[in-house]
Parts: sequence; structure tokens; C-alpha cells
Amino acid sequence: MTIKSGEQSKTLLVVTSNDISGLEGGLSGFYVTAGENFSRHLVLQTGASADILVLILPGKDSSLDFRIEMTGQDAQCRLFGLFLCPSDEKVKINVEMLHNAGRCSSHQLFRGIVSGTSRADFYGRIVVAPDAQVTEAYQENHNLLLSDTARIDTQPQLEIYADDVKCSHGAAVGKLNEDEQFYMRSRGIPEDEAKILQMLSFAAPVLDMLPEGDAKDRFASYVEQSVRSAF
Amino acid sequence: MENDIILKIEGLKARVEDKEILKGVDLTVRKGETHVVMGPNGAGKSTLSSVLAGKPQYTVTAGKVTFMGKDLLKMSPEERSWAGIFLSFQYPVEIPGVSITNFMKTAVNSRRKALGEDPLTAAAFLKLMKEKMALVRMKPEFSKREVNVGFSGGEKKRNEIFQMAMLDPVLSILDETDSGLDVDALRIVAEGVNTLKTPEKATIVITHYQRLLDYIVPDIVHVLKDGRIVKTAGKELVALIEEHGYDSIN
Repeated sequence: MTIKSGEQSKTLLVVTSNDISGLEGGLSGFYVTAGENFSRHLVLQTGASADILVLILPGKDSSLDFRIEMTGQDAQCRLFGLFLCPSDEKVKINVEMLHNAGRCSSHQLFRGIVSGTSRADFYGRIVVAPDAQVTEAYQENHNLLLSDTARIDTQPQLEIYADDVKCSHGAAVGKLNEDEQFYMRSRGIPEDEAKILQMLSFAAPVLDMLPEGDAKDRFASYVEQSVRSAF
Repeated sequence: MENDIILKIEGLKARVEDKEILKGVDLTVRKGETHVVMGPNGAGKSTLSSVLAGKPQYTVTAGKVTFMGKDLLKMSPEERSWAGIFLSFQYPVEIPGVSITNFMKTAVNSRRKALGEDPLTAAAFLKLMKEKMALVRMKPEFSKREVNVGFSGGEKKRNEIFQMAMLDPVLSILDETDSGLDVDALRIVAEGVNTLKTPEKATIVITHYQRLLDYIVPDIVHVLKDGRIVKTAGKELVALIEEHGYDSIN
């Protein structure tokens, strides 16, 4: 798929779920793709921009592959993703962000909540070519690991061959903060509800890529239902 | 009178990890009373408040705590809140991503649910928020902010007293509420506490310094040293401590 010069793509929404009926209907400004095995090569020409939102909801194994190539200057890409793996899901995400032209920017944020005996693998590679000066490229992968038997493997990689760049990458794996839980419980919020609030607030920055509006509200309530029923 | 008793602590011992911190505390709080627990650093003041609120990291090894006739130590932190205990934290916790409105709505309605009441309507809840925020002079836009995130010391403590007003507890425990406050914030916080006082309720003020006691006048003063209450007297004890220090009291 190629986004031509100066074009702004609709937001590409990639959903892995047993039931996306609540999400599909009546969305404007989105390409919706569902499927547990998804591979996409996206080329961004001069001045093109693309937003991609990935929602991996409970109950399915999935393997997602993104190869995003910026071939013209001033291209922009935002790739945000949330994966919810409460039971025994196997999720694999592979991202290659190729900055082959200068003055482009890419921003990636992936957040995952992993429990039970699930396993999540995240491989993210940013490559900045020698001619791709004035590049901005960021990649973050933050995870909540909620059981001793779940597993997260995260490998962010950065290969920079240009010298005028702003790049960063980071990965973190943590647990739900117990001080926050006690604070909430001391105000009468039951332990389970406190944990749900923590998970929802952890997931929120991913949905913040969307502008305020109906679509964002729908996704937020969809994510909330998934968290409430699965964790 | 026995039925005036809100809180009765008998022989309470508690430890955190392997360290015994409370070594046998006795304390009885009756309706309408304001108690002060003073003491040097490391005496166990904050441990006492944490144990009363049910912080999981603390282990009670001996003793009994009765709150409104019920065994407090058997209750979860949320059950203690529903029963009417409120702890104003020395270091209020930041909860990124959760707005004050959402936080308080969840807290208030969880309690109503536990007590078998219907949730508050949105309009009734907002009215209550507005009224209680005014009590500690919090601006309305505060309600949209994430709980304690980026708050100044004074804002955090005002937020604690705001939450106390929202939850309307029987027993309020103020843990070092004066620490980190300038005089103006101290006055606002103290006014809030004094406004909420009724003959049916009680307050325990935990503090290192006399400062807050210029604004919140105690009925009974206890000195906690090395995990035990070593002296109990009237408010005149505060001046004595201020003059001679904790070393003079044994």
C-alpha cells in the first residue's frame, strides 16, 4: 500500500478480536482490518502521512507485521498499539520503521497487559538511512506483567546511519503499583475495581492518538469492556 | 460510657518486614473527641495510621482494634473506608491517568453500593463535588486533573481534606497533614477539618510539630515513643513538649 505525495491516509485500524461487530459499523475516516495474521508494507511518499492504531483484544492468537518505508521527505507516521492478553494468548508484533528520506518523523507507542500464561513478543526496529538527515523517530513499548507464568519478550532496536537525528527507544515491564491500589482502597474503591482503573489508565495513552470524538469514545468503551470482562 | 466509643486499640503490636514497630499500643477514642498522637521520628506514628487503614505491608502480631463495635483488623482497607475510617496520607499517592472526578465518583458509588444504596445521579454528584471543593478552596478545574499528579504539597493536602469531606467519615486520621504546608495552606486545611467536626465524629491528628495544633485544638494528647504510648494528658502537654522536647517525657 502506498500513500502518495502529500496525501493523508485515513487512520488504519487493525483489530484482532473474536467479535468486532461493535467496532466496524459507521466508522468514517478509518480503514478497518481484522485478522489474526496481518502483514502490511506501507510506503510513504513525500509529505504523506499515516496513522495506524492496533488493538489486539483478548481471546485470539495473533501475529502482526508492519514494514513502513518513508521514501520521500516530510513524511509522518504514527503507529500506536494496545494488546490485551489475559489468559493464554500468543501475540507477536514485528515493526520495521525505515527512514529512507530526510525530515520524516515516526512515533510508535505499544502498550501491553499480559496475564495468565500468555506470551507477547515485540520486535521493533528503526533504521535511519545515511541520507535521512533531520529525522525524528521514537519508539516505546510499555508492558504490565500480571502473572508469574505470563511472558513478555521485547526487543527495541535502533540503527542510525545519519548524524542529524532525534531518536529514542525504550521498553519497560512492570506490575500494577501497590501504593496506588492501597490509596484507592482506602477511599473505598474495591481492590478489583482499583486494578481495572489502573489498567484503563495504562491503556489510555494509546487511544489518545485519536482526536476527541465519537470514534475515540467507542474504542475507549470497547477497551474498557474487554478489560473488565477478561482480567 | 461504652457506647460513646468509636475506636478502641488494645495491646496493638505490628511489624513491617522483620522489624517490630508498634510494641503494645492502647488508645480509646470517643465521639466528639480530637486526639493528637505526637512523637519523635521513628516512634511508630505513621505505622499506627497505616495499620488502622489496613495497609497490606504491615503485619499485626498482637492486640485488638475495635471500630464502632466491630473487629477492625478483620476488615479490608475498602471495608474500613465503608465503615467510616478515613486516612489523610502523609504522602498522597499520584495516580496517573485517573481524574479526580472519576476517582471520587468510583469511591463514592462503591461505598453506596456496599451499603446497599443507589449510585448518585451525575447532577447530585457534581453538586456534592462543587460544595466540598469550595470547602478547601479548590478551583473547579481541579476536578479534571489526574489525582495528585503535578500537585504542589499544599494542593495534595487540600485534595486529601476534600476527599475526607466527600466521604464523610466517622473517624478521620490525619497523618502529618501539616508537613510541607505553608501557613496559608495550613489554615485552609485546618479550617476544612474544623468545619467537618461534629459531636458524632472523632479525629486523630498525628504530628511531629505543634504547628497544626495552633489551628486544630486537641482534647487529648498522647506521646508515642519507641512503639508505645508513654504519656497521655490534656492539651497543655503540647506546650511542654514544645519547650522541653520529647526527651523530657518518659
